[in-house]
Amino acid sequence: MVTLTIDGRKLKAEEGQTILQVAEDNNIYIPTLCHNEAVKPYGACRLCLVEITRRGREKLVASCLYEVEDGLEVKTGSDRVVSNRRMLMELLLARCPNNKEIQDLARRLGVEETSFQQDDKQCILCALCVRVCQEVVGVSAISLVNRGVDRQMGTPYYEPSDVCIGCGSCAYVCPVGAIDFKDVGDTRYIKWPSSQMDFKLKKCKTCGGYWIPERQLEYMIEQTGLPPGTFDNCPDCR
Amino acid sequence: MQNYGVYVPRLVTKKDIFVSGHRACIGCGEALAVRLVCKALGQNTIIASATGCMEIVSSPLPTTSWKVPWIHTLFENTAAVASGIESGLKMLMKKGRIAQQDITVVAMAGDGGTSDIGLQALSGALERGHNFVYLCFDNEAYMNTGIQRSSSTPYGAATTTSPAGKVSIGQVSWKKNMPAIAAAHNIPYVATACPSYPFDMMDKVKKAAATPGPAYVHILSVCPTGWRCPTDLAIKLGRLAVETGIFPLYEVENGKYKLNFDFPELKPVTAYMKLQGRFRHLSEDIIEKIQKRVTADYAELKERAVEG
Repeated sequence: MVTLTIDGRKLKAEEGQTILQVAEDNNIYIPTLCHNEAVKPYGACRLCLVEITRRGREKLVASCLYEVEDGLEVKTGSDRVVSNRRMLMELLLARCPNNKEIQDLARRLGVEETSFQQDDKQCILCALCVRVCQEVVGVSAISLVNRGVDRQMGTPYYEPSDVCIGCGSCAYVCPVGAIDFKDVGDTRYIKWPSSQMDFKLKKCKTCGGYWIPERQLEYMIEQTGLPPGTFDNCPDCR
Repeated sequence: MQNYGVYVPRLVTKKDIFVSGHRACIGCGEALAVRLVCKALGQNTIIASATGCMEIVSSPLPTTSWKVPWIHTLFENTAAVASGIESGLKMLMKKGRIAQQDITVVAMAGDGGTSDIGLQALSGALERGHNFVYLCFDNEAYMNTGIQRSSSTPYGAATTTSPAGKVSIGQVSWKKNMPAIAAAHNIPYVATACPSYPFDMMDKVKKAAATPGPAYVHILSVCPTGWRCPTDLAIKLGRLAVETGIFPLYEVENGKYKLNFDFPELKPVTAYMKLQGRFRHLSEDIIEKIQKRVTADYAELKERAVEG
């Protein structure tokens, strides 16, 4: 056990926990976009930055990555944190001025408008989808490509991926709703910011409804070793 | 239609606010609904909970299942207590006694606490426009006191106070349309949900919490004890209720209707009713009457959704 102070509150935490986890356990709000407890922390959005005091010196760290240590002093709302966070939010708002989630978060953090030149993008390149695809689903169908201002998220060479199973995890986890996911008739469409794919859905033997991409079933059978006829019926008809 | 793959549930937070150890019956759909709803609401929440199943099972002194501030209220004043909390917080923040923050105020009640006894307080709170979320967990009778009928009990269902027999078919009145009553207050957000469609339900609760002003979510919670059905059918019955059109899932955003799940054709109501002991006495002609009413109600709802 280690003891640390967050915003003047003395808290106890397990070794190996991050500042963000301890703050969440104790109901201290730290804004984040790229954090999900199912995947390893990555520190892409930097919104969770906090000010720590270590050996008498203050510095800003990303709380989702920084592990707690004994006697650590953390401030989540100091002037330096607030002004840095606002600057980050302004930059995000300049990148995605028409994104509702970004607008809401900006308003919550007290940022009404941005002084930077505005772009019209939806993706914030936090790579949460990429990490979920790799760590949770285990297929790595999408990744971040290029560098610098050309950085984008998508399938390799912006072409339909051979390994994508169309599960929709990326669309669900996206913090800003930049990935379109919809089923129309017997086809599922997933649209990423720089590429798109469609998937053939499987028909249920009993009710005739379309319920899951055929590729996903193949992947699940391959992973679990279940007999091929296991998923002939949809969950409602089983 | 939301048809996420099996990997998506792993991305939902593992932190529970409504924790295990409570004394709900086996197969309780309501406990499942409360647990998922609490995951969606998050830690920064204050809950006012009316007398009812969830209050009885979750807080037998000296234990509690709740990890957030939770107030037990009477049947009749849940919405009044929630609006008091909301006003109190607003004032404390205005005077600078506590820091400015987003706290979700939630009122939870069963169908009896909402459509019968608590309706007056709810109507007042909706009309005054408090920024809170009202969640109605509808198990279609007063289950914790011994399955007495409420105004939310469907037509033809047998309960201990509307028993079926030689002279009675059970409940003789139709289910009160509570979401329509809430929508008639012209509040910004009204929705119906069911734990058998967990992502849809969690999305709606999140949306309700983010809505400024009052929001009402009506959640169908299958009760195997009161509905006289096997305990492993809670999820299946919830899905059947939606698929037969008996409990359609829809949202009303600023007066605009939107049907979330639309099926090319509805299943017959018997698929839903034959699994439940409370409907087993019904004769063919009564079931046909129910089928006609369900079809007509669904068509009307669909028409409203098309009009927008």
